[in-house]
Amino acid sequence: MHSDLSFDNDASRHFVPLIVAVMVYLATLALAGSMSIGGAVDQWRDAVRGSMTVQLPGRPGGQTSPEAVANIKAITDALLATPGVASAAPLPDSDIQALLEPWLGDADLPADLPVPILIDVTLDDGVSLDPKGLAQRLAVIVSGVQVNDSGASLERLVRLARSVQWVAGIIVALVGAAATAIIIFAARAGMSAHRKTIELLHLIGAHDSYIARQFQFRLLVLSLIGGVLGLVFGAVTLLVLTLLSSQVQASLVPRLSLTAPQWAILAMLPILGTAVATVTARMTVSRSLRQSL
Amino acid sequence: MVRFQNVGMRYGLGPEILHDISFQLAPGSFHFLTGASGAGKTTLLRLMYLAHRPSRGLISLFGRDTTTMKRRELPALRRRIGVVFQDFRLIDHLTALDNVALPLRIAGAKKEAIGAHVSELLSWVGLKDHIGARPPTLSDGEKQRVAIARAVIGRPSLLLADEPTGSVDHEQGLRILHLFEELNKIGTTVVIATHDRDLIARFGRPVLRLVGGELSVHRPPRVVAPSSALAQQAGGL
Ligand SMILES: Nc1ncnc2c1ncn2[C@@H]1O[C@H](COP(=O)(O)OP(=O)(O)O)[C@@H](O)[C@H]1O
Ligand SMILES: [Mg+2]
Repeated sequence: MHSDLSFDNDASRHFVPLIVAVMVYLATLALAGSMSIGGAVDQWRDAVRGSMTVQLPGRPGGQTSPEAVANIKAITDALLATPGVASAAPLPDSDIQALLEPWLGDADLPADLPVPILIDVTLDDGVSLDPKGLAQRLAVIVSGVQVNDSGASLERLVRLARSVQWVAGIIVALVGAAATAIIIFAARAGMSAHRKTIELLHLIGAHDSYIARQFQFRLLVLSLIGGVLGLVFGAVTLLVLTLLSSQVQASLVPRLSLTAPQWAILAMLPILGTAVATVTARMTVSRSLRQSL
Repeated sequence: MVRFQNVGMRYGLGPEILHDISFQLAPGSFHFLTGASGAGKTTLLRLMYLAHRPSRGLISLFGRDTTTMKRRELPALRRRIGVVFQDFRLIDHLTALDNVALPLRIAGAKKEAIGAHVSELLSWVGLKDHIGARPPTLSDGEKQRVAIARAVIGRPSLLLADEPTGSVDHEQGLRILHLFEELNKIGTTVVIATHDRDLIARFGRPVLRLVGGELSVHRPPRVVAPSSALAQQAGGL
């Protein structure tokens, strides 16, 4: 587009793309983080839906000790007699050992270590049991029984995840606000740098829109360049993080794997950023032109 | 065409530079505006081309009161006024052609219509070889002629020129004034600010004189027309 204003030498040429790139980069990461946490929450929900864990105090000698076998049998029977319980089975020692491995290493557990016994309970579809009531009933049979309500601890985890998502949302909002302020600043600085030319254009009969259009187009180009750069760097960062996170085995760490629609949402960021920048520039310039004669 | 009634003008809180200015310019008239340096010639012209609102008084242009006009109505009025600024005010990064074409482009003229028309005018003011040149590469006299071409390209009804011969030699000054006379003949109202007494005497046109912030009008008897050779020169300008 032809421009009557000479933008080649003004500062906005370098700093607007840079700032917009940083903003889009941060927004990309925050949004991607928030979306993968959302995905992880859904996965956790699926994983724990309709299940509970009953924990018996460990006995020296492990699950094979006569006392343990009797306890397991008594509790399992009681559980299976409970309406709504579909199945109840102790986790084999090897699974428990695997669970403890991150803390205790992969050496064989000493035989006399009182490793707790875990009984995995599956509920019928749509059933939920009151974990406290169940624990009280089972404690009569074997003292020291605990019922792990994975639902409750999941809810705590979900709350944590949601607050992380909120923080990410706030970051995106702050980034947007900062970018808008910078665009306003750039538009104002541009106007004072071109004050004389703007006056000339007015005096030979230009409407405000003729002048505003040139600033608007200028900032559109600059912020689009910045936005695309920010997205490219953001995408590269995300790919690296995805690669790294796929090597982590912990099931609670949200996997950074975005779906195609989620990538599409991220790709909209530079476009959104450019649209906001363009509208902001136009409004800023029109507003300040209105104060001239 | 132009009507001032009790116009006073001050910049900010400064002293009043123009007091109680009242005059009227008939359509198709040709006036010189004179006065010592700092007398307020530029200020008076700025009021006429709507760069400033008067501190008091009424200004009407083309039969319309400009003091009560809305901002969005001003561009239409300004497009009927051609201005040669004392400091030219060319846009440095545009070529001579684009500078002259600016009023047409702003008025929304089609690109094809602009090009031929503008280069014709530039050749006419003797800048045929500088059509693609940018102002910083031009001499002051050349810049002045670009500024003049830009002022007249839109065939304004009112032409205001602020010391348009200040940067050119006497000969070229005469040629420029003859160009203005030609425009005046086809109906343009012309006001030329100058302190060149020689020029004023030569053209024998009514003079608006600013002294101490007051304006007086002098209508000297038309002196014998300048030599016909000069008139011919104007034709070739
Ligand atoms: N923008 C301005 N702000 C304040 N004072 C000004 C401004 N422009 C001109 N003046 C003052 O107004 C007076 C008239 O200036 P000007 O109209 O330029 O006179 P002239 O064109 O006749 O030389 C001068 O005293 C000048 O200092
Ligand atoms: Mg002056």
